[in-house]
Amino acid sequence: MLTHTILRFGPGLAAGLLAVACSDRPNVNMAPKRPSFWVTPPPAQCPTGKWTGGGRIDPTGTRTAANYDNVDEPSPTGDPPPAPEPAPYFTGKFTFGFNVFLATNAANRCFVQKGEIEVNGHPFKVAWHVSIHDGVDTFSGDSVFANVFADNSGRGFCLVVGTADAFMTARVNPGQGRETAQFEVCDNDRGKPQNSRTDAMRWRAAPIHSGETGPTGDTGLTYLTGGNIVEHGS
Amino acid sequence: MNDKSMHWVNRLAALGLVVGLVAGLAVAGSAQSVGGQAYSTYVNTPLGSSSQSPLAVLPAVTGTDGAEADAEGSALNVVGALSSDFLNSITSGEIGTAEAGAQSTSSAASVNILNGLITADEVVANVMSSAGQSGALSDAAGSTFTNLTVAGQSLSGDQAVAPNTNVSLPGVGYVVLNEQIPTGDGVTSSGLTVNMIHVYLQSLVGGILNPITGQTLGGTLQTTGEIIVGSATSSVGP
Repeated sequence: MLTHTILRFGPGLAAGLLAVACSDRPNVNMAPKRPSFWVTPPPAQCPTGKWTGGGRIDPTGTRTAANYDNVDEPSPTGDPPPAPEPAPYFTGKFTFGFNVFLATNAANRCFVQKGEIEVNGHPFKVAWHVSIHDGVDTFSGDSVFANVFADNSGRGFCLVVGTADAFMTARVNPGQGRETAQFEVCDNDRGKPQNSRTDAMRWRAAPIHSGETGPTGDTGLTYLTGGNIVEHGS
Repeated sequence: MNDKSMHWVNRLAALGLVVGLVAGLAVAGSAQSVGGQAYSTYVNTPLGSSSQSPLAVLPAVTGTDGAEADAEGSALNVVGALSSDFLNSITSGEIGTAEAGAQSTSSAASVNILNGLITADEVVANVMSSAGQSGALSDAAGSTFTNLTVAGQSLSGDQAVAPNTNVSLPGVGYVVLNEQIPTGDGVTSSGLTVNMIHVYLQSLVGGILNPITGQTLGGTLQTTGEIIVGSATSSVGP
């Protein structure tokens, strides 16, 4: 509470004290001041990584489309592979929201400590949900591994949740089904204005295990039509 | 120590305090609060009512933290007022050392309002708010209608509509499409609520009926109900 109070009043207090130190006259400019306390974000990394975001993508299945993030799609490890994998391309409207906290295990492997991911596939009226608590996927009981890497464009960092050795299990509604899935986001405007439309998202899903249901496809890495992706923890 | 030197000591002490405070803030993170909410439908009419549904509200976010909330609904039917399906609401928000923000989205499909007076294959409301080194901003990019029809006027495909487009609904009231309600100063705070379809039902109250012409004389229009489809709110502030 004390920290919160100091933070809330910090900028105004700092401005007032600065005026005392530098001038015999009080600062009478009542215009709102731009925050002076923001810092340049450090490189994203796994152990302290916190990622949050949401919005909408409109994948077209066309690599030449203006909203296809071709340059960042090839990952340095080959996971995820170039889209569509699995085929076909998912196209149409997809909306989503997520929050993921990363950690490393005893083997120094990056995994999701806790997280929620919601993806709505509007063309087929399907809602996927992934829920991870205490390092365990609620719908499979397994760990969900992740990977953080600098993207090819040099603009920022990407996060893959559900790496290819195990992927992750999503609930599929309607019907409370299950489906294997992978989620990728890229924060390409770190520390810059957040309406650049360079952040991107990719969703891959396929019913590859017994009893699973749901549509099969891959959106490809697609720039957000609206919304934002923020890596805010490293 | 004379008065002049004391003056400089005070200045240096104050300056040191300022430097310490700013450095502390940089380490501790940003002094920001974030908020978000989304829902697909809301009905409050003489025909029937339904609360904001499905409703997703962003939990409190503190420190350099983040959160997400979502809600799914299959279908809604308030007879004569609104029917819709594939209802989804999502909101998320974060506070970091470089930026803070929130983003919300809601959607509804197969929308039918007031027995076909307004229809749409789908409605998506999408907003984001962010604050960082360059200031604070909000936008509603990604908010669209798919195959919208209002009182016989159609808009084919997936399209945006100009903010706060007001369309009269004779005998019923009016509808505001892409209703946008901004908040904040755009420097340290910013927020935006988008209601993609907001129907205001109105009735003439207090008039006198002319028994010869059958017309009502005088009176005032009063809002007697409202229907909202596709609502999303995001905000960031000190």
